[in-house]
Amino acid sequence: MNNQKIYLYDGTFKQLLNLIKVLIQMKIKPLNIQDKNKYIPNLIDETVEIDLSKELSYNCLTPQIQKAIYYVYLSEEKNKELIIFYFILNTLKYNNKIFYMRNLNCVDKTLKTAKQVGNEFHKLKGFLRFQELNGHILYAKISPSNNILDLLSKHFSLRLPKEKWIIYDEGRNLYSIYNTHKYYIVTSNEFSLKEIIKSENEDNVKKMWLSFFNTIGIKERTNRRCQINFMPKKYWKYIIEMSDEYKKSN
Amino acid sequence: MTLEEKLKILADSAKYDASCSSSGSVRTNNKGVGNAAYSGICHSFASDGRCISLLKILLTNCCIFDCKYCPNRSSNNIKRAIFSPEEICDITINFYRRNYIEGLFLSSGIIKNPDYTMELLIKTIKMLREKYKFNGYIHCKAIPGSSKKLIKELGLLVDRLSANIELPTNEGLKLLAPNKDSNNVTSIMSYVKENKSKNFVNAGQSTQMIIGATNETDLDILNKSNHLYKEYELKRVFYSAYIPINKDKLLPSLITPPLKRENRLYQADWLLRFYGFKVEDLLDSKNPNFNILIDPKANWALKHLNEFPKEINESSYFDLLKVPGIGIKSAKRIIACRKNFKINFNDLKKMGVVLKRARYFITCNGKYFINESYFKKQFIEANLILEENNTNNLKKEQLSLFHE
Repeated sequence: MNNQKIYLYDGTFKQLLNLIKVLIQMKIKPLNIQDKNKYIPNLIDETVEIDLSKELSYNCLTPQIQKAIYYVYLSEEKNKELIIFYFILNTLKYNNKIFYMRNLNCVDKTLKTAKQVGNEFHKLKGFLRFQELNGHILYAKISPSNNILDLLSKHFSLRLPKEKWIIYDEGRNLYSIYNTHKYYIVTSNEFSLKEIIKSENEDNVKKMWLSFFNTIGIKERTNRRCQINFMPKKYWKYIIEMSDEYKKSN
Repeated sequence: MTLEEKLKILADSAKYDASCSSSGSVRTNNKGVGNAAYSGICHSFASDGRCISLLKILLTNCCIFDCKYCPNRSSNNIKRAIFSPEEICDITINFYRRNYIEGLFLSSGIIKNPDYTMELLIKTIKMLREKYKFNGYIHCKAIPGSSKKLIKELGLLVDRLSANIELPTNEGLKLLAPNKDSNNVTSIMSYVKENKSKNFVNAGQSTQMIIGATNETDLDILNKSNHLYKEYELKRVFYSAYIPINKDKLLPSLITPPLKRENRLYQADWLLRFYGFKVEDLLDSKNPNFNILIDPKANWALKHLNEFPKEINESSYFDLLKVPGIGIKSAKRIIACRKNFKINFNDLKKMGVVLKRARYFITCNGKYFINESYFKKQFIEANLILEENNTNNLKKEQLSLFHE
């Protein structure tokens, strides 16, 4: 049964999964699922809010499937909720074989979107740049297309477990704060850095890095096209060796 | 000399080594600084388009050897410098914490003798691992001619250990690097191969060859690589297009480095390791060099057109791999998907097949992409060459627009 209603959830991954489970149980095929924090009410739409506080469990979601749908959830894809709904609906039928049903649109869309999120995550594992603030705190700014702050936080909590660091997603106004034990993701209402005071050593280390960067390329092999292909321009703002600030000073 | 000046000199002296990879190792954090990601991570890209993953430096560019092609040869009058172990550790940690790099790639010129140099390398890396608690990726060069005991000690500290074979033939090595003995390089390779374990050179070993400094054919080079992969289980052989740094009557007077040739060798290297091709499939004594206009796989396919077109829904994995435009991932996907449904041309796009190349060599459910009378060598060859050049030109145009 298809219907025109808009199903709302609170924007969390958990509630989205609960909502999808309920819809599947009720044999409803939704045409519209929306995050209620982003939804702007109007007189025409009929909205439905289902009580989703009860924890529901799935037994069909293998780790591989969970990862794929979580990555889609982190994307800014329009209708990502519906993509996930139809993907899950099909996993009931195909289980892990779903990954080989690329002729189905929802599978193609899910895998493409998940891949895109995964690619951006992988890129930023490398392109993210910390600077050192007073008190040995590391601070990085990012502005990714997808909401990968949680993925990056997990990565850096394993990589730099004894450091205090803050990663700021400028586009989404979210901070991830790591205190050498655990990271917390909070909005700019809950936390903000009033002023950024660089550590004494920071400019010196940065200068050394820029020297290294400029030296390591081989002049006879210069290939800017290749450099840009691998390091897309949209990330340059935060990569010190590519930023305007640095280029102006040269 | 400031630390920054030293870094410039010792990075400049190290930059000609082609290896940059940081993959193949798993290190979970042990409460220190860093870990290693199996897939490897690129942190930046230099002006030559090569990935910057590791802090690539020499411990010193002082060297007792006088290899003709090397910027650091003893007869060159250049600025020389040497890092202290503490300096290397400080820079590595400072760069790593800021996420500039994935780890360290340390090599060195030979000072006094091979063992003395090895001891300095070991001292540095031991300090980095133990005192600075660095647990990220380390690639270190083993110094040919040093003792087994030192190679063992170094191997236990690093993720990757490598020794450069430098030139494809022993004759070439004798001519251009008279102080180097190829047996010293291969004995390191054998030792690493025999002792490789989770704690000893976890990410395996690699080597590098300079292309175009001596007059070997591509066939010679590929035979050498093939031998190295088989005999020493190398992870990678890197090819480095010869760049004329020094003037010497023994060296060729190239104006531009043979980058296209280098590219063709990498393509062929991949075909040998992952696609089931043998050296003799690709080259022979009549055609000992690669076609510069067309890549080795397409070249092979055009020569064996009687084995094509391959039916996507029936061909074996290795047959699919022979199709230009189908890679390992897409071949695996095709095999898995066709158990569930009949694959058509549109589905292939979704699986990552490069259709504009593959379409000339396949059928889907018995259908060729256009009228079958076009299945002819001249037609396909012309289109493939055109296509490779178009892609290059298009990218150039996009780039110039980008700059305006």
